[in-house]
Amino acid sequence: MPTISLFQKDLCQLVGRTASMSDIEQWMPYVKGEVKDVLQDTGEVRVELQDTNRPDLWCVEGIARQIRSVLNKGMPPYTFFSDKRGAKRRIQVAQGMEAVRPYVAACVSLGYAMTAEGLDQCIQTQEKLADAFGRKRETVSIGLYRYSSISFPVTYGLVKPDEIRFTPLGFDEKMTPQEILTVHPKGLEYGSILAGCDRLPLLWDSDGQVLSFPPIINSRELGEVRLGDTDLFVEVTGTDLSMVVLALNIFACNLADRGAAIESVDITYPYETEFGKSVKTPLSMNQSQRISLEAIEQALGMSLGSEVIQEALASYGYQVKATRQSVSVTLPAFRNDFMHVMDVAEDVAITRGYDSFSPIMPQTFTVGSLSLEEQTSDRIRDLLVGFGFQEIFSNIMASHQELVDKMRIADTDYGRLVEVDNVMSQTYACLRPSILPCLLRVEALSPRAFYPHLLFEVGETAQLDLEANMGSRTTLSIAAISANSGANFSEIHSYLDLLMYYMVWPYELEPVTHPSFLEGRVGRIRCQGHAVGYIGEFHPEVLEAWQIDMPTSGFEFEIRKPEA
Amino acid sequence: MNSANNTDSLHPLEIQVLRELGKDPQPLSDLQLANHTELAPSQISMAVGWLLTKQLVSLSSETTTTYVSLTTVGTQYHQPGSSPLEWILREAGDAVPSGQLLTVKDLQAKGKFHPSELSRAIGILKKEGVLQMGAGGMLEITSKASETERNLRSLLDQIHKGPRPLDSFASDHQALLRLYAVKRGNTQEPFRIDDYTERTYVLTAEGRNLLPHLREGAAQEISQLTPELLKDGSWRNVSFRKYSINLRPPRLAVGKRHSYREFLDTVKYKLTSMGFQEMRGELIETEFWDMDALFMPQFHPARAIHDVYFVKNPKMAKKIPEPFHSQVGQVHRDGGTSGSKGWKYEYDSERAKRLVLRSQGTAVSARTLAQNPPIPSKFFSIARCFRYDNVDATHATDFFQVEGIVLGSDINFRTLLGLLQLFATEMAQAKEIRFFPAYFPFTEPSVELHVRHPKLGWMELGGAGLFRSEVTVPLGVTVPVIAWGLGLDRMAMVALGIQDIRDLFTSDLEAVRNMRRQF
Repeated sequence: MPTISLFQKDLCQLVGRTASMSDIEQWMPYVKGEVKDVLQDTGEVRVELQDTNRPDLWCVEGIARQIRSVLNKGMPPYTFFSDKRGAKRRIQVAQGMEAVRPYVAACVSLGYAMTAEGLDQCIQTQEKLADAFGRKRETVSIGLYRYSSISFPVTYGLVKPDEIRFTPLGFDEKMTPQEILTVHPKGLEYGSILAGCDRLPLLWDSDGQVLSFPPIINSRELGEVRLGDTDLFVEVTGTDLSMVVLALNIFACNLADRGAAIESVDITYPYETEFGKSVKTPLSMNQSQRISLEAIEQALGMSLGSEVIQEALASYGYQVKATRQSVSVTLPAFRNDFMHVMDVAEDVAITRGYDSFSPIMPQTFTVGSLSLEEQTSDRIRDLLVGFGFQEIFSNIMASHQELVDKMRIADTDYGRLVEVDNVMSQTYACLRPSILPCLLRVEALSPRAFYPHLLFEVGETAQLDLEANMGSRTTLSIAAISANSGANFSEIHSYLDLLMYYMVWPYELEPVTHPSFLEGRVGRIRCQGHAVGYIGEFHPEVLEAWQIDMPTSGFEFEIRKPEA
Repeated sequence: MNSANNTDSLHPLEIQVLRELGKDPQPLSDLQLANHTELAPSQISMAVGWLLTKQLVSLSSETTTTYVSLTTVGTQYHQPGSSPLEWILREAGDAVPSGQLLTVKDLQAKGKFHPSELSRAIGILKKEGVLQMGAGGMLEITSKASETERNLRSLLDQIHKGPRPLDSFASDHQALLRLYAVKRGNTQEPFRIDDYTERTYVLTAEGRNLLPHLREGAAQEISQLTPELLKDGSWRNVSFRKYSINLRPPRLAVGKRHSYREFLDTVKYKLTSMGFQEMRGELIETEFWDMDALFMPQFHPARAIHDVYFVKNPKMAKKIPEPFHSQVGQVHRDGGTSGSKGWKYEYDSERAKRLVLRSQGTAVSARTLAQNPPIPSKFFSIARCFRYDNVDATHATDFFQVEGIVLGSDINFRTLLGLLQLFATEMAQAKEIRFFPAYFPFTEPSVELHVRHPKLGWMELGGAGLFRSEVTVPLGVTVPVIAWGLGLDRMAMVALGIQDIRDLFTSDLEAVRNMRRQF
């Protein structure tokens, strides 16, 4: 979820109304935003935007545009999308770009003198779009230039890594693209996007001046926008044409909202694209959609009527055309998130306000129930609490050291477990195959707690099982330990015996060797023919490994689903 | 405090101690009290403890003396010739006439002392020149006598008579005592050095005032009704000592449910009482059920919301059940039959098999949808989930999500709000609620529920929405479905008086025992 920074005054100017912070809070539902922080002295407001499908809202201009549209019950379309004249400027895409970074979109912004706030917002939008929407510049990256210094047409083509030298932003000396990739901070950060390319993308003008080396860095001569610059050239390059065009559309609308006149740029490709070989950008990509009013009313649970729905959608910024039978809507060009009629239904609800829909209780009758596993768990928990055991509740992730090494089962079949690939901390690198280590951890950390210690936990464990479809099984287990100076096998056996009696689970103990327990004081628990777990006195080496000074015995077994 | 009442509730032991202290204006020590009253030291210490609490007696002085005493090992050594030094010299001496001198190994083989004890003793004797190591490691005795042996013997004799203050010995003897005293890691030593604190007590003014009121013949009073007293009716002839009923009672170690789990128990009982059926899932999931089936595209930043843990071995599930695998893939590619345009990208069917630790409880709902659930129906799960996050006061490595679904032909946006309103009153006793637009990759419309909790004020209680057709249709469900999730951990933490989320799963037994629900 992107969080952006904006200024209250700037937002109000763009909305066209004066507003207090509480007014602004009231507007936030229109953009699925939440005010996270307000800095009183500077007027800076930090807003978190929830909708990852609405990159147009990740900037103050977009937020203001959406709010303005709702408050004014609609908005006039941006005329530069429907400009029928041919563009005065052109970008020629060179052969071979399709294999590296195939698409480019651009526009010219005239007559808006860049203010400090405008520039900050431009940079923030550029970063948010390239980072979160453009997947860290991989699919979309954006460049801004001083328009007056550029001679058109501009070429978007490939160069050899050491063929050309220019001064990148942030440096004083001329460098080759290869040097930029190995030395420049941005080259180091984003160079992996171009890994494996023997020729690199570059934008240059008809005088041979370099505009930028996308998606890495702009040239310092042309690509450093300063306060007061009135005319800008904006380009977006990337690997997905719709995303490239959408990012440019958003940028163009933002500059237009600040007072700039936007002019188009023709892009000429030597290869086919989904919009043809010649693409004029900015470009409205949205087709009008016939939508079913019935579907919207059914989804919202309210007969709003055609007019109300049309009005709501127009307010939210859609272009709406109604015939007698149906309604057609077109999303504004700065949005491209229509997938399903439900998306439109939600916009109707947002425009009207969620609080305007009165809640209805679902009337259908259903029977509530707990799973058999949960019912069984609850019975076991009740019994053990009655036996005097304290219930423990542990994390399921633990360390290999705790689950295996301290249990004396390294390099044995008992020590097989599900491990995490992308370990963040060794403390949480594995899923527990057994609950006993979690109980021993409690004992190890609690020598000062009033004795005796009778502990238990009923919970999930993960068993490595390479035969299973997912390579493991989630099982439900019960584990209990007794730690006190007289703890021994027969004491814990008494508790197991009592538990099995009340659960009506006939069982047998079978002598066995288990490294965690003392030889001759350990048994395998068999229940209805299945080996389900172990009971025994913990081996002194196990207790030493945990630094437990108290004799401890315990049992653990899997609670099997009753066989049908 | 009423004096009469106070004397009634005094234990006979307390009365004896009070009397004894009353006889003599001088402060008396535990030991003196024990000698004068002929009570056991443990009885004196119990009675003095009670009297101190009641402020009838006060501490007059406290002096700590270090005493040396013999251990059982020391008592053994005290037998003539039994200390390691004496034994070595005797063994080595006995060997001389036979001409078969002994080596250190030979001494060890006799097994009388621990090898480390032997080597220390041999070291001392060699240093004193009493013992020499000859050819072949043979031990030879010289004509010198061992001073250490002589000193040790004298100390054993002195201390055998009874514990002695350490500082009553000369400093070189003190050093020897320390060398041969029980330490951590070596309990097989002849001496033990302990600090003994002698405390003396006097009566307080209140204690002194009580003296004239103390009962005579306290022995006729009994403290505990016994089966014998009841059987023969003799309880009629005795009086029962009165208790000081305001003293803290002794502590008990009892069995108890874990308070956080108990909190979750009430949640599950609430949900079943509202007609929800419990569903369960696996801790380890495929990306398919964890994300793909929930229409989270394999490329989209929305997936960054759920930073997940991947499984090391095996990395992939063997298969994803059909027809769901291809139908979900289709809905990602072009919307399939869901009425959607889809995400329009090349869905990677293999990646769907990648194994992860379940990152959201909604995965359980997705699996339920695919199992041809009855219509109408309501489900919930309290599912353990895992997130790739740094563990801190607000992030746990694994935690519970309370989630569920409601299926029915009458389900729509307003019944969704109705359900959330029900949750607000049932789960948070909230009368005031607000709905906000929200975003989840798998629901549209999506709602965030904010409630005014009577104790916590305004808080976000949960998120919900109608499952997108892109989720339900590929899984074979044709009616609208509400997907809901409740964020209850904050409520649980406040109810349990916990500030750090990690404390919900603490391994500190005292903390677990002390935890309790406050509302």
